[in-house]
Amino acid sequence: MRRSIFLSSLVYGLLLAGLITLRGQLIALAIPIVLYLLFGFWNAPEVLDLQIERRLSHDRISPGSESVVTLTVTNHGTDIEELMLDEKISPQLSVRFGSTRHLLRLAKGGSHTFTYTVAGPRGSYPFETIHATATESLGLMRREQFVRSNERLFIFPEFRRLKHVSIRPRRTRVYAGSIPARIGGSGTEFFGVREYQSGDSSRTINWRVSARHDENLYSNEYQQERVADVGIVVDARTHANLFGPTRSIFEYTVAASAALADAFLMQGNRVGLLVYGSFLGWTLPGYGKVQRERILQALAHAEVGTSSVFAGLEHLSPRMFPPESQIVLVSSLVNDDLNVLVQLRGRGYQVMVITPDPVKFELGILPSSQSVDLAARVVRMERDLLIRRLERAGIQVLEWDVSLPLDQAIGPVLMRHRRLM
Amino acid sequence: MTLIALISAIVIASSSLAWEFEQRGFSSFAVWILIFGVVWLLAIWRRWKWYSPFALISATILAALGLYLDFNPGWMFAGGVFALFAWDMAEFRQRLYLMAADDDTRGIERRHLARVSLLMLAGLFLASIVMLIRVQFTFEWGVFLVAVILLGLAQLVGWFKR
Repeated sequence: MRRSIFLSSLVYGLLLAGLITLRGQLIALAIPIVLYLLFGFWNAPEVLDLQIERRLSHDRISPGSESVVTLTVTNHGTDIEELMLDEKISPQLSVRFGSTRHLLRLAKGGSHTFTYTVAGPRGSYPFETIHATATESLGLMRREQFVRSNERLFIFPEFRRLKHVSIRPRRTRVYAGSIPARIGGSGTEFFGVREYQSGDSSRTINWRVSARHDENLYSNEYQQERVADVGIVVDARTHANLFGPTRSIFEYTVAASAALADAFLMQGNRVGLLVYGSFLGWTLPGYGKVQRERILQALAHAEVGTSSVFAGLEHLSPRMFPPESQIVLVSSLVNDDLNVLVQLRGRGYQVMVITPDPVKFELGILPSSQSVDLAARVVRMERDLLIRRLERAGIQVLEWDVSLPLDQAIGPVLMRHRRLM
Repeated sequence: MTLIALISAIVIASSSLAWEFEQRGFSSFAVWILIFGVVWLLAIWRRWKWYSPFALISATILAALGLYLDFNPGWMFAGGVFALFAWDMAEFRQRLYLMAADDDTRGIERRHLARVSLLMLAGLFLASIVMLIRVQFTFEWGVFLVAVILLGLAQLVGWFKR
């Protein structure tokens, strides 16, 4: 019950008792309470006119690091005896220093600045509303104002940069890049020999081949290197990521996706992202730093959701994933995924699967026992079989032991792969 | 500062009521009033938010009952006014819990205490007028009123010095 109503009821009770008993003392007993109430009503705050500015020291941070939030409140209205400011922040964010709640006195035209430091897990955290409550000093009368703002703190997944990721899609784009394009031209890797054409540099003439032919000269041709379309699919299905209420491999999946997107974009490729959870979260393909930012924001938002199999993944939008482009799936894989991935491969996509190893992940958490070891062996065999089937279908599968950083675990394999192909 | 004021107000409110009830021969009732005061103190320690409104209602009813039974109105008014003061302090303490470490807690406390103390003094002043009209300005009540006024003045002087 509001305090003023409570006290008013008490006053009315005393007045009524005084009238019934015809005792003036009872009415006099109400006088201090009436005085108290009148003081509160007399000093009741007027309509609030507050301006609140919020600054974040960093609006993009990694998990574990901190951002300092500075709030400046300016009062454009009348004097406020007691002003309670309550900043509503996400419950996932933790306040390391300072407080999100302040009680202060703010004179007309005055301002007050306070700071607090937040940190939290990967995510996107809006700072939407500050709840300002003004009261007179007795706290009887109050005015409220909800000040809205649009600041947002992104906590991006933490990842270690991959130096290079080798891919070889069937189709590349027209711009020069670092992906072998299966087309002869200028480049660094030998591609073939063709008849000398006017304008060829004398350095490119293959003298050995030319010596075998009396009439013509032959030039070396090098493989053109271009940029490619890369689509990264992040598996956010609950049953592929969660192994209990608190055990999730999803953070590794997200970190690997971020590292791969960063590496592909650094190589100049056109990269798109699909987060496959309870719904499809698309980030349309693009180049460069802006696209990197978009993808990291999408990954900051990414959450696991319920979806049994990759339903509809075989019907990918050509706008999102152009035919014969490179698809990189980051998933711990479940047995049902085989058909969908084979179908994608059959449609001409070059498919690479980076798979955080869920067996080793779970074994690292579960207590060692005979039954756990036996179960692990069975699951391991099933998984090996699935991976072998995928490889047989021409899908490149790279298993990642998540106890090691991605760049150490599969980085060398990804780089070496370039030389082998 | 608030806590001291709160405890003092509870002690004064319950002992004022208990004293007058004792004087009028309601000894067992006075004991219950003292127990009620002790429970109020316990409620402050245990942070039972519901107890303060209940205690204010109870103290006001006891004061009204005393006035109805023609007890000395000074003690009854003291009981009612200090119960109101204690209720206010208890609520104010709830607000203080919401303050951050770097907020001007002492400033807000000082202003609040000054205003509420003045209001309570005004209430007591009115009570005194009522008593003068009814010619029941007893010696004990006079001593008590002087003590309260001196206490208030000392507090005011202390704040101004700071």
